[in-house]
Amino acid sequence: MATRGRAGRRSRLAAHVFTAGFLLAWQAYSLAVEPYVLPGPWPVALRLWEFLTTFDLFKHAFASLAHVAAAMAASFVVGTGLALLAHYVPALRLAVHGRLSPFLNSFSGIGWALLAIVWFGVNDLTVIFAISVVLTPFAVINMREGLDTLDAELLEMSASFTRRRGREFARIVVPSLLPFVFATLRISFGVSWKVTLAAELFGGRSGLGYLFNLARQNFDMALILAVIGVIIAFVYSADRFVLAPLQARAARHHAAAA
Amino acid sequence: MSRERLIADGMVLAVLLLWWLASLGMPEFILPGPWPVAKTLFSLFTTPAHLADTAASAARVIGAVVVATALGGVLAYLPWRWPLFEGIVHERIKPFLNSFPSVGWAILAMVWFGTTDLGVMVVEVAILTPFCLINLSEGLKELDAELLEMSASFTRRRRRVLLKIVLPMLLPYAMSAIRIAYGVGWKIALVAELFGVSSGLGAVMLQAQIVSDAATVYATCLAIVLLFLAGEKLVLDPLSRVVAYK
Repeated sequence: MATRGRAGRRSRLAAHVFTAGFLLAWQAYSLAVEPYVLPGPWPVALRLWEFLTTFDLFKHAFASLAHVAAAMAASFVVGTGLALLAHYVPALRLAVHGRLSPFLNSFSGIGWALLAIVWFGVNDLTVIFAISVVLTPFAVINMREGLDTLDAELLEMSASFTRRRGREFARIVVPSLLPFVFATLRISFGVSWKVTLAAELFGGRSGLGYLFNLARQNFDMALILAVIGVIIAFVYSADRFVLAPLQARAARHHAAAA
Repeated sequence: MSRERLIADGMVLAVLLLWWLASLGMPEFILPGPWPVAKTLFSLFTTPAHLADTAASAARVIGAVVVATALGGVLAYLPWRWPLFEGIVHERIKPFLNSFPSVGWAILAMVWFGTTDLGVMVVEVAILTPFCLINLSEGLKELDAELLEMSASFTRRRRRVLLKIVLPMLLPYAMSAIRIAYGVGWKIALVAELFGVSSGLGAVMLQAQIVSDAATVYATCLAIVLLFLAGEKLVLDPLSRVVAYK
């Protein structure tokens, strides 16, 4: 966050100068090299406009979004399930946190994509599977964090009010976990974009990663850069304007309740 | 504890057993059994030709982690020392690098640098730098202001303060930056190596995928898991104990 006052204004000005300098340097360098190495900002902007207005191109953005959403949902359910299992069945704790989660965490995303191609073929399932498996350990780790910090006194109090575990779970455990749910979703979202493109590039028939592959084969650098621009803008604004405020709100709510 | 251990190791055994049973009914190119995969995995660390690929990948990851930590450090230092850079680093460079897709870097590097070691390193450094930058700026923000004030009353030489106070206090943050970068580094090593580089585990894996040698695909995946765990347990864990001790 930029600081306030004169120093803040000067720093913002410097940032704009930096952006302008960056575009200028890009333009200058693009004049010196072939367009298939680096097209200038203007051809990329034109291609970007074409991307945004042509349904055949833009539909790939929706496909990627659908892949990301499906994988986020699947990995959240599986990861939370595993974290809950380890929390309520202590005998399984080491199996989940000491074996499964480190294994998933160190397994390469591309590895899952290539294996999934062998298992399921080149289709949406492969893409969603590869992303989900990569995201699952993040969900396990985050939700474990949440379950570990559950307020023991609050649980004790709730036990004195009701014997029904389901009621206790819905009224106490779930609300306490809410900030961690948002943290999980935010991290998953950030990571998923990095994996999705790779998974789609190798194992998909749709999505921006697939479009990357087409553009790469046609040496269409302008389209590649335009798509990268779209992704940066989308990921940045989704994180800054949707996920961060949501998470802050959940954290506030939690703080007020506790 | 021992019961937990029994269940955890029992689960690993059960998975291996299930894998073996499933592999009996499947063709080799879809699901090879644990034994052929283990043999290939072993050869990745013993056969000279394969060892060269494994070493190439490891060297690239380690090199990229070092460069990214240094670069992240410089980028974090600039706005801390001169607030003028605040907007440039935290509002431009950081979000840009942070949301840049890694496959995008891989494709761009292939076009710009060809299929060279330099290209792979550039991709890995570009992906790892924002992680290091975020951690190290966090560390600089947490620096003890009173300690800095005290040090300013002892010496005017900034470099002395930097070496004797700032860097030692930053070490734990540098350590966690290195830890994160190392983990991410192994994950994206394959992405960086998949586009036509002729050496490294990514190249081995892609080659195996093309000739549907599934055992090698599985083995390269597992080799990365092993290398990652080995680096963490044998190097990073002892190193962070040393750092924490200071």
